[in-house]
Amino acid sequence: MSQRNEEWAEPEIDGVSHWLIHHAASWAPEALSSRLEEEWLADLECRSSALSRLGLALGCCWATVVIANEFSRTRVPTATPVVAAKGYITLADRNFGYFSLRSGTLFLILGLHGALFCGLVTTLSLTRGSVTQPDLPNQVLNPVPIEVSVLPGR
Amino acid sequence: MGKKDANVRMSLQTLRVLETFLENPAVQLAGAEVHQRCGIASGTLYPILLRLESAGWFVSQWESIDPSSAGRPRRRLYRLTSTGLRRASEVFASFNRGVLA
Repeated sequence: MSQRNEEWAEPEIDGVSHWLIHHAASWAPEALSSRLEEEWLADLECRSSALSRLGLALGCCWATVVIANEFSRTRVPTATPVVAAKGYITLADRNFGYFSLRSGTLFLILGLHGALFCGLVTTLSLTRGSVTQPDLPNQVLNPVPIEVSVLPGR
Repeated sequence: MGKKDANVRMSLQTLRVLETFLENPAVQLAGAEVHQRCGIASGTLYPILLRLESAGWFVSQWESIDPSSAGRPRRRLYRLTSTGLRRASEVFASFNRGVLA
């Protein structure tokens, strides 16, 4: 997007950014919702360009997911808490349902690739069946009579 | 954000945030300033700040300004606690020991 287009669309982009932050904060845990909205809106004002503000707003949507996930886990005591050595918790602490977040992401990426491959194979097989020419019977053609005409002047 | 002096999951981004605050432990920084200094995206930065605050490494408070006179909304400022300073220093010291060993 050129600078002129960005300036022209700046009010619209800012509107989207504010809307995203408002909704991201509303999805956050209730105890943090109003604080996060005010904090993010204040940080939004520090950004110089509209696209940068939009990036911040999109990041806040992702931050809400992470915060809500962590907030729910801290409220529900786990049966087998992970206690790591050296005084800090490792990445194994972070769970995503039955799998760790990393494994879940890996399965998601593999699943998407599999679905894409299956779709591609199915599409190609259907397309190939319709495009392939049917077998044509061989026919013996009659010889074409060749007429040699003599050009005038030769 | 209740529990104090709890364990914190150390990621590269968390270390970068801690390093930013350790440059001047007395300074109070808003999320936007932390983003400018260490370049961590907002989707990663704010959960880290909340995690560190929840663990008692950071404390946060609203900026003491009048938004109408300042012409901008008040920001949420974070700073290291004494516990956070000690624990962060221990983390970096342990990494240095690991590198040198």
